[in-house]
Amino acid sequence: MTALTSHLKLLEAESIHIFREAAAQFRSPVLLYSIGKDSTVLLHLARKAFWPAKPPFPLLHIDTTWKFHDMIAFRDRTVRDLGLDLIVHTNHEGLARGINPFDHPPSVYTNIMKTQGLRQALDAGGFDAAFGGARRDEEASRAKERVFSFRAAGHRWEPRRQRPEMWTLLNGRLGKGETVRIFPLSNWTEGDVWRYIAQEKLDVVPLYFAAMRKVVERDGQLIMVDDDRMQFLPGEQPVMRKVRFRTLGCWPLTAAIASDAADLDAIIEETLKAKVSERAGRLIDHDQAGAMEMKKREGYF
Amino acid sequence: MRLAALSEDVLTKVLPVPATHTGAMVKLLTCGSVDDGKSTLIGRLLWDSSAVTQDQQAAVLHASHNRAVNGERIDFSLLLDGLQAEREQGITIDIAWRYFETPNRRFVIIDAPGHEQYTRNMATGASHADIAILLVDARHGAKRQTRRHAAICDLVGIKKVVLAVNKMDLIGWSEPHFRTIEEEFRKLALSFGFTEIVTIPVAALTGDNVARRSSTMAWYDGPTLLDYLEEVEPRAEPLDAPFRMPVQLVLRASGDFRGYAGTVTSGTIRPGDRIVDARSGLGTTVRRIATMDGDLASAGKGDAVTLVLDTDLDISRGAVLSEVPRRPINADVLEARLVWLDETSFDPEMGYLLRTATDLTPVTSMSVQALIDFESLAATPAHACAVNDIADCRILLGRSTALDLFRDLPATGNFVLVSAIDGATVAGGVITWAQSGAPSVGDNVFVLDRALLARGLCSDLGDSPTDRAEFHRRAQEAAILLRSVGVPVLVEI
Ligand SMILES: Nc1nc2c(ncn2[C@@H]2O[C@H](COP(=O)(O)OP(=O)(O)O)[C@@H](O)[C@H]2O)c(=O)[nH]1
Repeated sequence: MTALTSHLKLLEAESIHIFREAAAQFRSPVLLYSIGKDSTVLLHLARKAFWPAKPPFPLLHIDTTWKFHDMIAFRDRTVRDLGLDLIVHTNHEGLARGINPFDHPPSVYTNIMKTQGLRQALDAGGFDAAFGGARRDEEASRAKERVFSFRAAGHRWEPRRQRPEMWTLLNGRLGKGETVRIFPLSNWTEGDVWRYIAQEKLDVVPLYFAAMRKVVERDGQLIMVDDDRMQFLPGEQPVMRKVRFRTLGCWPLTAAIASDAADLDAIIEETLKAKVSERAGRLIDHDQAGAMEMKKREGYF
Repeated sequence: MRLAALSEDVLTKVLPVPATHTGAMVKLLTCGSVDDGKSTLIGRLLWDSSAVTQDQQAAVLHASHNRAVNGERIDFSLLLDGLQAEREQGITIDIAWRYFETPNRRFVIIDAPGHEQYTRNMATGASHADIAILLVDARHGAKRQTRRHAAICDLVGIKKVVLAVNKMDLIGWSEPHFRTIEEEFRKLALSFGFTEIVTIPVAALTGDNVARRSSTMAWYDGPTLLDYLEEVEPRAEPLDAPFRMPVQLVLRASGDFRGYAGTVTSGTIRPGDRIVDARSGLGTTVRRIATMDGDLASAGKGDAVTLVLDTDLDISRGAVLSEVPRRPINADVLEARLVWLDETSFDPEMGYLLRTATDLTPVTSMSVQALIDFESLAATPAHACAVNDIADCRILLGRSTALDLFRDLPATGNFVLVSAIDGATVAGGVITWAQSGAPSVGDNVFVLDRALLARGLCSDLGDSPTDRAEFHRRAQEAAILLRSVGVPVLVEI
């Protein structure tokens, strides 16, 4: 056994411990399933934590209606194959107001379709705890987050009032109006996630692997044309390019990268040598400085 | 239960385990006072070990230019300050977690705030670390804050510390100066239980002795910081520590499956081994160690497993499964050293709960006995404690729970104290002494109530906060004395 596989074993055990602590302490948890690689690992760990029983909570997907078609197909297949319970929620108010990622700034679109949508779904389900696949290596404000991340009424994150978290003791006692977000992958890196997917032979959305895809180049970013809702700028022509995605979100807001990495080994190689951080491909995070922290204060994951 | 016997037994068998197993991931705590250069040091470590991506580099170069704090120099600290409030004030208020790896090792950096008012965050960070890097400014040496940090590292169980003496450039790279700081620190560290102390002269700004050996300090022949981190053995585990597994939950599934899920916190377990539930004293045999990847032939410290037992013990979350000979203490009175984390001070009349590995036990009464003085590092008698204090206290529980002494088995010997009102984590501590309660409590429970105490033992006490604290302390001591001679007691005040 090499040093690295044994470090994945440590990370796996840590995550399973977190899942079990949460299931034991909260009345009604839910797993926020966003279909990407992190959710894939999260779900796999949840299955391990409660095996041979099924995870004692449903999955929740916030469908903005702008997820890649491949993602939705993958989601439905996963849920069917594993016999899991999935809740899909869309912010219909936002949809009725015609909010979309082409005509509205990314921050407005994200706030209404993702953050508000999530808050609606959590409130409607009466969930007191929600698991998410966020990692601390993703972004500076994430690096400060606890494993049990308490949210005041209205799902607000108050970074100055985070609960101390000592050793492996996770205190899940809620105060009045509080809910909690739980991050079992806190100490995983992007490289760990891919190595674990390879080691455990997990299936992921095919968009992660390089293939010829229809894209336009816009402000130096490669935007994939996923369906005919694409709004082209004057003079823009879609071209076929060999691309893949490092991170998956709403399609016009998540840029692809030019890559030849068509299998897991190639992806791991590329990730470990990456010269650009993962979220650089997420247009929503660049809107303003401290963008992620702002979103989290509003109740985003 | 004979505690001393267990301690000696465990301590004499502490041997390092091969690096391939525990050395795969090393968690480092970094702490120092504001402006000692901690952010610069970590930024330098990440930068020089190529853990910084191009877009992060560009952002840092851009921002360094805007602030122009170091003239033309790169401000490495910009890599670290994550929250808006921190960027605005230029201070670090919460722990930040960073990750990097070398070909041999995966590192987790737990970056703790330097400022005194955020000591609670520092304690949180320290509890997760294997090794602490304490940073001091070469011009000032160890300060009160260094002593506080060392005391917290010691409290949470860190055994290995690196003293990084930073800004050596500002004292002319002077060896005698460095040696004085080193000696002073080693002297103050005698108060603690550290097993390994390494002192390294560095300059974070220029990178001397961080990842690159300093040519200006040729007199120094020890390892660079990165060399040391690559070599150090993070956790020395007792080779034959007693088996413990706190039960997190009971899993039931079709086909009559019933298993106890939990993480092994010490020792090893195999199918066929006899185990006992520490609280009830009931024993049985392990039939299977079940996981989704198949049954295991054995499980050891850190493994998250599910145990299927030969006979059902009818236990639930909070129970601690143990080997038969060396069991946990089934305690209802304990002494502990803790760090107070909450803005609201300790109040003997408040309701608290003791959160151990997986159990949550009501605290009947609690009293502070002493506070650690950060100048002398001695314990001085006290009855109150407030945020950032380290205190020795006595806790009487409403019922017994299975636990160990922290120095023997840290994972079943630590706890956090939870407010019964709002759920806040008000303190974190380690168990230094514990005692099993009276034999099984029958119908004749003796109730020590307020009126009874006020009539006699506490008749001299008034209503001041000090007197009220003293009232609780006497009630508690009376209960402990009665219990130790076998009288079941309930304190109701
Ligand atoms: N001369 C000198 N200055 C340093 C060194 N390391 C850090 N500094 C400076 O000390 C100041 C405080 O550093 P910073 O990393 O922000 O300190 P922190 O508050 O401990 O995180 C900054 O102006 C740094 O540039 C060093 O080795 N030599």
